[in-house]
Amino acid sequence: MIEVIKPGLETGIQDLPGRIGFWSQGFPPSGPVDAWSFRLANLLVGNPRDAAALECQFVGPTLRFSNDGAIALTGAQMNATLDGAPAAMWETVPVRAGQILAMGAATNGARTYFAFSGGIDTPLVLGSRSTFHMAGVGGIEGYALKVGQSIPLGSASEVTPLRVPVELRPAITETRSWEVECMVGPNDDWLDPASVDTFFSSEWAVQARSNRTGVRLTGPEFVFSSKAHEKRPEHGNDPANILSHGYPLGGINLAGQTPIILINDAPSSGGFINPFTVPAAAFWKVGQARPGDKLHFTRVDLDGADKFRRKIDAICSAENLVAL
Amino acid sequence: MIYDEPRFHIAGDRFIEVELGDEMSFDLNIAVHAFVGAIEEAQIDGVVELIAELASFQISYDPERINYHAVVREVLGVRAALEDTSNIDRASRLFYVPLFYFDPWTKECVDDYKATVVDKVSDPDLLCEVNDLPDRRALMRIHSGTEYWVASLGFWPGLCSLMPLDPRHELRAPKYNPPRTWTPKGTIGLGGALTSIYPDRTPGGYQIIARTPMPIWDREGRLPAFTESLALFRPGDRVRFIPIDQEEFDHIDAQVTAGTYEHPCVEHQIFSVSKYRQWRSKIVNGDTK
Repeated sequence: MIEVIKPGLETGIQDLPGRIGFWSQGFPPSGPVDAWSFRLANLLVGNPRDAAALECQFVGPTLRFSNDGAIALTGAQMNATLDGAPAAMWETVPVRAGQILAMGAATNGARTYFAFSGGIDTPLVLGSRSTFHMAGVGGIEGYALKVGQSIPLGSASEVTPLRVPVELRPAITETRSWEVECMVGPNDDWLDPASVDTFFSSEWAVQARSNRTGVRLTGPEFVFSSKAHEKRPEHGNDPANILSHGYPLGGINLAGQTPIILINDAPSSGGFINPFTVPAAAFWKVGQARPGDKLHFTRVDLDGADKFRRKIDAICSAENLVAL
Repeated sequence: MIYDEPRFHIAGDRFIEVELGDEMSFDLNIAVHAFVGAIEEAQIDGVVELIAELASFQISYDPERINYHAVVREVLGVRAALEDTSNIDRASRLFYVPLFYFDPWTKECVDDYKATVVDKVSDPDLLCEVNDLPDRRALMRIHSGTEYWVASLGFWPGLCSLMPLDPRHELRAPKYNPPRTWTPKGTIGLGGALTSIYPDRTPGGYQIIARTPMPIWDREGRLPAFTESLALFRPGDRVRFIPIDQEEFDHIDAQVTAGTYEHPCVEHQIFSVSKYRQWRSKIVNGDTK
């Protein structure tokens, strides 16, 4: 068991592949935004890479362990301490019952992943332990961690201490500037072709009004094609309005003139177009970008997205970790 | 229009948007649901889930098990074997949803928006204006005088988009600009030509005119209606609104709180698309005998 002394800022239990099969009823997949860091944390403590672990957002929690075991911290740097001494990231850290892990605010990136040997063993809700914060589904009682809660753990066997080689970690930028792979479609024909090019050549700033449903961006104005202007009235008044349709994860949803990157807890559908989509393998960048960070989108096609996804997938394997 | 061929759009490396047309109509929506139902039945390996919408649907697939081109090929294969959707009979449950029209909670919500965001004509009065109705009683009569078709679910757990089945009861509603930051749980809103029930306290952009004490989703699955699913409706269900007053609202609300409320629902009905179409065309052509 792990006792929550301080909850941090919306710290949630997540697992992979998340809540699958209920999206058509409005329950999104959820799961960790940076699945790369998440999986490495699990592998470092001997768990299956998709086991339930904590996603700490911007400010991490303070936790007291009731069990001996092993922990791992990956993703954003939150300057964690174990009984006051700095706790290493990207490697297995043995812990004893009674020890306290205190995490601070992220100094680079936005999300830190915390795994405990044996994995988190909260009840499955619709097949997943993932927390869908907005509607109060999954996790512990539906929401982010709260003071005084106890996080149940699965049973673990002996853990071999391991480390993730530097070249296999996601490169969380210190320059606060990100190159994010992005695909054209599904609704790019609602934009003027020149506006599609402008999207890829421009700098986009991450707004503070961002959460696990979407990351809002500020940048140049979009220009729409005739399709957006000459449509049937039931599509709506705004050029960006479309008859309510499904929203892909990673979709760059154009709410009027504000692009919102739809991430893990995004709505299943709505009435705005998605001219572009961030593929799975670039999600970790969106998950680690902080308000004020600058994004540049790099155009990739389906083959490019497949290659990039397979590369990260191959990295997230226990055999790539080295003994401490 | 309804397209001759489905239009496939790449939506990242795990999703495909399939458009069957660009209009909001029962005929197109029933085609979407028939197609999606057939794809589900085909159990294509690697197709993970489907979201059926008004005129289109979204396919999620696992790119490690099936690629985009194979999904398109398989889905077109399902379509080739699909029977004509205009004559199908399908199971369709009918829910009686109690509605307190012009209730104090939605009024409070609209008043709050008017005071803190931007002044506007109160939602029921705006709907009367836009739809050329003399007063709120006429609005209630029009709105509650038809069965509705559950055309799609989504945006929020359990949220449903309802299409009136009787063309004489179609209402038009503009959307809020900017949207509301909150809406009471169980509020009934209208946007475009659709009616929606807000499953929870959420932001929103529809014009709001009533509230139901009947939950349409339940995160704990406490009431009997939620033993199979945490969301009440399925596409192809039908809804009839029953006007109630404050006393009845409070009575139902108390039953819900006590966990004893049973959703009024006729489980075993078959909806005949062809008979519905005959009836509708009679009405549209003015022959209502």
